This record gives sequence, structure tokens and C-alpha cells, in this order.
Amino acid sequence: MRRLLYIVREAWANMRTNRTTTIVAILTTAFTLACVGIFLLLYVNLRNAAGWLQEDVKIMVYLEDAVHPARRQALEQELKSDRMVFGVLFISKEQALGEFRAQFPAESHLLEGLGENPLPASFVVTLAPNYRSPQSMKGWAERVQMMEGVAKVDYNQDWINVLAELIGYIELAAIGVGMLLSAASVTIIGNTIRLALFTRREEIEILRSVGATRTFIRIPYFLEGAVLGAFGSALSLGILKIGFELFRQQMQLAGRFSGIEGLLSFFPFSLCIALVVAGTGLGLAGSVVSLLRVGEGRA
Amino acid sequence: MDAIIQLIHVSKWYDRRAALSDVTIEIEKGDFVLLMGPSGAGKSTLLRMLIGEEQPDEGQVFVHGRNVTKLKQSEIPYLRRKVGSVFQDFRLLSKKSVFDNVALPLVVQGASEKDIRRKVTEALRAVGVDHKKDQSPNSLSAGEQQRVCIARAIVNGPVVLLADEPTGNLDPERTGEIIELFKLINARGTTVIVATHDPYVMKQINRRAVTLVQGVLMPDGRLAERVEV
Repeated sequence: MRRLLYIVREAWANMRTNRTTTIVAILTTAFTLACVGIFLLLYVNLRNAAGWLQEDVKIMVYLEDAVHPARRQALEQELKSDRMVFGVLFISKEQALGEFRAQFPAESHLLEGLGENPLPASFVVTLAPNYRSPQSMKGWAERVQMMEGVAKVDYNQDWINVLAELIGYIELAAIGVGMLLSAASVTIIGNTIRLALFTRREEIEILRSVGATRTFIRIPYFLEGAVLGAFGSALSLGILKIGFELFRQQMQLAGRFSGIEGLLSFFPFSLCIALVVAGTGLGLAGSVVSLLRVGEGRA
Repeated sequence: MDAIIQLIHVSKWYDRRAALSDVTIEIEKGDFVLLMGPSGAGKSTLLRMLIGEEQPDEGQVFVHGRNVTKLKQSEIPYLRRKVGSVFQDFRLLSKKSVFDNVALPLVVQGASEKDIRRKVTEALRAVGVDHKKDQSPNSLSAGEQQRVCIARAIVNGPVVLLADEPTGNLDPERTGEIIELFKLINARGTTVIVATHDPYVMKQINRRAVTLVQGVLMPDGRLAERVEV
């Protein structure tokens, strides 16, 4: 018990002795991890957005004008019985025209001159949740395109591809920046531990002379590194949360993007915990690097 | 004979200068040995070898039946728990109380709270500073600080007690008291080795004396005999 108390007390004493360095280390770690957090936040929100868009994607199956009503009904049955299809809605030529007029009242006169309704009848198809990936959608569209009576199959493939590509880049950037800044955090914490080792070298010498093992001597420094990492990452989450809320407020005030702010989300609680654990791990890594490089003295 | 310490043809060089040169010595259990010689004679090097802080370039060192030169790094702390060390500069932690300083060897071993309290109280009583257990070492006199250092060295009942110039910072009166303390500890069965170049200490202790001169061991004998000769 006293041994455990001793270890905890020593770690606390280390931090108190080098108070300024400790605070600077926590702050620098916090800002460094906050930078990583910005990318992570962007990544998480874009992924969410991609998810919503994917959910919302409707595939338009346009029919040939000359398609026989019997063939149209057969096609509808065929689509409805497809296991990849979640829902099918038929839109006749007249309905399409009506929708066009409702959506674009100013441009509706353009169709007047054509005499005949140029808009095709179509099926609006929603795929089942398991088949909403870009690959599945592409495969399904290609298959339906070959069916008799189908003029064209259309969906926002480009949009989805661009978003997927963007998410891929952000993911790469997050990994790159994350690795770079994590290494910076490890170095900062490592230097703090090195300073603590230097400050307390006489005490370490005494501990060694009375028979303390390397592990016993090192544990307080490991603990200190872990605590610095944990505090740094917790603080970085605080900074991010404040920044995030301010950004959301600005979006709301700007009006132009009204509605988007409701879609933005901060890290879920489980990810916050994971980030604090990761910060603790980085701090621990800083101690390990420091103790491996300079050691706690000769054994 | 029951040798607790053996150095066999031990040599150590620093930058081609011999700190110890072919030293062979045997110290028996319960002995009180004075390790004498001027500064730079190799006394501290020899003591450091006994706790695995230095390794000889040649020869072998045995302490309590274990070959120190063959010990793994991880085994050295366990050797140090059997050998108490007293230093000229006391090496006490100023931020800890006298009690906590003396408790340190027991804490690192993971002794129970009850054991720590009992053994520290006994050790402090043995050296006569039990009434100062809650004070900071900095508030004590040099003599008292050295007593605390001795208490820390004996608190876990070591088989050997090493003292490197233990009276170097003390006046003659305090020196006499510390010497008496070492004699008392030795009388209880602990092997004591005191390294010193202080002639006053040499005169106070009429025990086996081993002399080092420039790393070379002189033929040993009792100090009183040597003084008479």
C-alpha cells in the first residue's frame, strides 16, 4: 500500500516540482492533439454526410416513351421483387410534368412550345440499405439498364464518387497529420520526463543505493507521462468542443447554411474516451522513449 | 572461516590509471574492517564494487556468496538490499521526513505498513534520533543527519554495512559518537567496513585495517599494531 502511495506521490511530486514545464507540456500536447482532432472532426462529419446522402440516393429508371403498359407493369413487378430494391414509385409522364411545373414555375413555359410532353415516365427506386454502396448501385443500374423498355438509369453517381474521394483524402490527411503531431506530443512529453529525471537524479541515485529496482524507479515517470497525455488529450477535447460550438453558432447566424448546423455532430462519447486513452498512450510512449534514451542512471 | 566478502585479483583502470591493482582480500562474517588510504587510493571504487555500482576490469568479487561480477542488472537491487551504505554527504531526501527517509529501503521492498513502522522506529531508536522522526533532515545537525543515514542503512537488517568517509563532515566529538554506533552495529553481528583517511578515526578503531595506496593493497593488520610499529 505504502509502495503504491509512494509511486503516486512521486509522480505527483515530479509534476509539482516542474510545475511550469508540466503546464507547458499539457498545453502543447492539448493544442497538438486539437489539430489532429480538427481533421478527425472533419472526417467524422463528412462520413456522416456521406452516409445521409447514400441513404437518400434515389435511382431514376426512365422508361421508353413507346413502352407498352403491360411491359411497364411487368417491369414494376420485376423491380419490386428484386431483393436489392427497397421501394419503387411509378411516376407517369403527366406526373413528371406536373412536378416539373411545381418545382420550376418560371421555366414551365419552355415546355409549352414543344406541344407534346417531352418528359419520360419513370420509376423512382430506393435500394435496400445493404446495397447502397457506390459499387452495388453501379452494378444494379447496369443490370436494369439492359432491361426491355428502360431508356436510361440515372443517379447521383458523380456526387457520391466525389464525396468518397474527398473522404479518402481527408482520411489520409488525418492519418498523416495525426502521426506527425502525435510524434510531436511524444517528444514534448518525453522532454518533460527527461527534465524530471534530471531534476531528481540525486533522489534516483539514493533509491538505487537502497535497492530499488528499475521498474520501481521508472513507474512514477511512466505515470507522469500517462497523466500528462491524458490531461493534454482531455483539454484538447475541451478546446475542440468550444471551437465546434462556436463554428455551429456562426453557421446558424450566417443564415446561408441554415439547417447544416443541425447535421454537424461532435465526437460521440465513446470516441472521446478513445481519444483520451490514445493521449494517455502517447504520454506513456513519451516516458518510455525518454527512459530508454537517457535511462534513470546506471543500474 | 566464513568469508562474507571476497575480492580475487581485482583490477580496475580509469584512463590507463589503475584505481585498483590486483587486489585480493577476504573479509569474514562479523568483521569490522577499516579501509584506509589517502584520497584517490581506490577505497570508494572498492566499496562501489561491493554493491555492483562498478565492475572490475579483471578479477572477481563475491558478496554473501554471490559473484557480483556475474550478476544480471536486474539482480543488483537485491544485492543492495543486503548491503547497507552510509555516505559522507548523507544523501537524505530533504523533502521527506526523517521517518520516510529511513523507511525508503523497506518501501522499495514492498514491506507491510506494520513492519515499516516497527523497523523504522527500532532503527531510529538504535541511532538515537527517534525523537526527530517527523522533522525534515535539513533541520538536523550534521551528526544527526549521519545517524539518520545509518538508520536507513541498517533498517532492513543488512549482512554488511559499508561506510564511505562517514565522518568526513563531522567534528571530532560527533565522529566519536558515529564510530561507537558502528561498533554497536558490528557487535550485533553485522559486518562493517569503514573507508576513511581520517587519522582520528584510525586511532579510535582498534580493528583489522586494510590499506590501499594507489590502488595497491598493503599487507593488513590491526591498526594498533601498525601504529606501534
